[in-house]
Amino acid sequence: MSVAVELRHITKRFPGVVANKDVSMRVETGTVHALVGENGAGKSTVMKILYGMQHPDSGEILVNGTAVNLKNPNDAIELGIGMVHQHFMLADNFTVLENIILGAEPQHGVTIDFKAARAKVAEMSKAYGLDVDPDILVEELGVGQRQRVEILKVLYRGANILIFDEPTAVLVPQEVDDLFGALQGLRAKGMAVIFISHKLDEVLRVADDVTVVRAGETVAEVKAKDVTARQLAELMVGSELPQPTTHGDTRRAEVTLALKDVSIPTATGSRDLISHVSFNLHAGEVVGIAGVEGNGQAELVEAIMGLREYTGSIEFQGSTIDHMSVAHRHDLGIGLIPEDRQRQALMMNSPLWENRVLGHQRGKPVMRGFILDKKATIEDTKRIMEEFDVRAPGPMTAAAALSGGNQQKFIVGREMSKAPALLVASHPTRGVDVGAQGAIWEVLREARTKGMAIVLISADLEELVGMSDRLLVMLRGAITAELDPQKTTLEQLGSAMTGAA
Amino acid sequence: MKTKTTKLLLNATYLLLLISIIRLITGATDLTSVGTASAALLLSVPIILAGLGGLFSERAGVVNIGLEGMMILGAWAGGFVGSKHGPWLGLIAAVVFGAVGALLHAIATISFGVDHVVSGVAINIMAAGLVRYLSTILYQGGSWPGPSQSPDVKGISLNGLPVLSGGHYFGWQSPDLLTPIAEKHWFLVSDLIGIIRGITGDLSYVTLVAVLFIPLSFFILWKTSFGLRLRSAGEAPVAAESLGVNVYAMKYAGVLISGGLAGLGGGFLAIVAANHYQENQVAGRGYIGLAALLFGNYRPGGILAGAALFGFADALQLRDSASIHALILLIVAILAYLVFRDVKRGKMLSASISAVMAGASVWFFFAVQELPGQLVTMTPYIATLLVMSLASQRLRMPAADGMPYRRGGLR
Repeated sequence: MSVAVELRHITKRFPGVVANKDVSMRVETGTVHALVGENGAGKSTVMKILYGMQHPDSGEILVNGTAVNLKNPNDAIELGIGMVHQHFMLADNFTVLENIILGAEPQHGVTIDFKAARAKVAEMSKAYGLDVDPDILVEELGVGQRQRVEILKVLYRGANILIFDEPTAVLVPQEVDDLFGALQGLRAKGMAVIFISHKLDEVLRVADDVTVVRAGETVAEVKAKDVTARQLAELMVGSELPQPTTHGDTRRAEVTLALKDVSIPTATGSRDLISHVSFNLHAGEVVGIAGVEGNGQAELVEAIMGLREYTGSIEFQGSTIDHMSVAHRHDLGIGLIPEDRQRQALMMNSPLWENRVLGHQRGKPVMRGFILDKKATIEDTKRIMEEFDVRAPGPMTAAAALSGGNQQKFIVGREMSKAPALLVASHPTRGVDVGAQGAIWEVLREARTKGMAIVLISADLEELVGMSDRLLVMLRGAITAELDPQKTTLEQLGSAMTGAA
Repeated sequence: MKTKTTKLLLNATYLLLLISIIRLITGATDLTSVGTASAALLLSVPIILAGLGGLFSERAGVVNIGLEGMMILGAWAGGFVGSKHGPWLGLIAAVVFGAVGALLHAIATISFGVDHVVSGVAINIMAAGLVRYLSTILYQGGSWPGPSQSPDVKGISLNGLPVLSGGHYFGWQSPDLLTPIAEKHWFLVSDLIGIIRGITGDLSYVTLVAVLFIPLSFFILWKTSFGLRLRSAGEAPVAAESLGVNVYAMKYAGVLISGGLAGLGGGFLAIVAANHYQENQVAGRGYIGLAALLFGNYRPGGILAGAALFGFADALQLRDSASIHALILLIVAILAYLVFRDVKRGKMLSASISAVMAGASVWFFFAVQELPGQLVTMTPYIATLLVMSLASQRLRMPAADGMPYRRGGLR
């Protein structure tokens, strides 16, 4: 086996940040090589450098043994390097064929030789098991098929070094299996595949070699068969993994939240979205709501926040809040970490300080009388960024520019700013990196000790079992079981969630 | 493709049948006369050129409201250069002037990221002011007859199909077999022959070229690499850049071609449709071209349909207001078809709206014998509006149309 790509001591600085301090990796032909690291560790920058989209400040790139200088993606394409972007680069209103040949059209006189192109694409589809109809419009394709088009696009240009930037982020499990099948096919054909990911179980499933980067530096190069997911994770974070645990019983006597026979009937009169839910939540207690997604958890959150009409009653700190508006509930001291941060918690194109205002637009420090206090808001945004380790250039940065983990830490920081008595946390660590996950757990732990009550909804069972004082299992809108997390295994919880137990 | 073509032919046949029946009922012989068809074609050409201009620009992702201004520049240049150096050089000057206007639009929108609509409107205003200014200078210099009108331009000769439509070739004057048939007013036959004779006889060569631009545009945009890349700049510029397409170059090309075509449309107005430049000659045809582009769903064939509709209505109102009265029946028929279609699809609300409108139109037809002049003049615009609102098709504009694009969007 020969070395297809070698990176030697790549350094890349951006104004204010060092994205890559010292990254080295060797990718051999006929292998799948995973590049793993936390969000912000510099994985994407390395790959953009290898694809000619950015230029290293120092360091060497060797392709097939010769040092190269990549000025733009065209140079990379000519050397046989292809990139399958995380966000697909496809024209929806073009056919699959048009998307594939764009920029490298076979000519027949003055026209495009569609016949030759179709034949070549059909042949590649067959050779690599990437089946897709060349004459269909891309807008009609699902995500998995679009990715196939992206791969074909790269192969069509004769690439033998393929970069996949977080390819599984958008796929459902079945599509992930298909993709991995295709990757094995590429490997068998002697191609070098570089696979960027932070999903370690996937990495171990598909990769031969793994390069781990942390804070812009290569920290390890290992064979996938020699490591476990846990070891890789610890290499990524550089310390022991954070554990979702809480210590001791911090539960206090007073009841913060009490649900009494809460139901949400549907308009059509079919089965209630949630039916007859009752529970008490004490100050300093975390109650975990377990359940397969779509069993009423989202509706439960909406009921507590007043986003949806319900029957029954909800009491907060001893008095009913049924008649209160969403704003009123917020002001009373109920905080919310919504499940979809990009759609429900942030204005993606607005700066962080404007996002700081969201949900807090009725009091200090955001308002001074009737007027928005921009200066104080910016100051307070800086405080949140510092206290909660939100890594971004400053309060003027648009929310969209932050990684998922940093967005989530910002949201958590914002909600904690008013020191709520109750926090409804819906998937608080979904899609965030290990470091941010640990930080968010720490925040929740501390707040619990100080007497905050938490309703925790999560699909991450370890998180649920580790963080909760009490587990409620929701199935088809009703609470079907109450479990003690100390005495529950993940398997038991799993079967309770599916109603098998 | 086969079925699409047959469907199109079938629809055209139905439409012709309908018009023939209406002609028979109302006796408005001008509906399908040779003169009407000929005038309709002449009036369609500037719209076609403006529409195709819009097509190239918008397919490359640049909204071109400035078509109107580019046509004005072309018309003025056609009159100015044409009256001095002959019609052909006049047309070339029209193309160049249109392209200069487009270059301005391209620099503003592509290189400097100015909002496309703002830049386009600015060009429209500036073009109108600039040509008036230049005209005034020429008038005071004594070379123009008035501050709003150029000297006459020599005409470009006309020709037609040999044998059938009375063309002339190498000194031989061919017979004109179709005209007598058209004047017999036989049901359907004379109507069809009248239209064919109208659009194949006494044609300006420029008209022929303009009409040929329709298939040529389709060929360029959908069959060549250049076209695919140009369209990719309007659909997914970032993706195009990632594949090595020079998006800026494509956008510049699209806008410049757009300006050239619009300028030619303006030159056509001054040199072929009239015989001199006249202020306000363009009279909103740039906008109508844009409407034809939308009506045609950003496709050349659709632009032809939209332009033909406008040209037909315009020709009728210029020639004979009695035919406009007859046109109301055509509207009734179209509405009746819509009622039928919507009832079949179970869309009762839109069906009843159409039914009420049809009823009102029938009443109007019988209540009013002669349409007031102002309404007659408005007909082409009303027809365009009506068809566009009723067509209710699925419009599909280029995905990145009108969006500013910066190189390096990849990062």
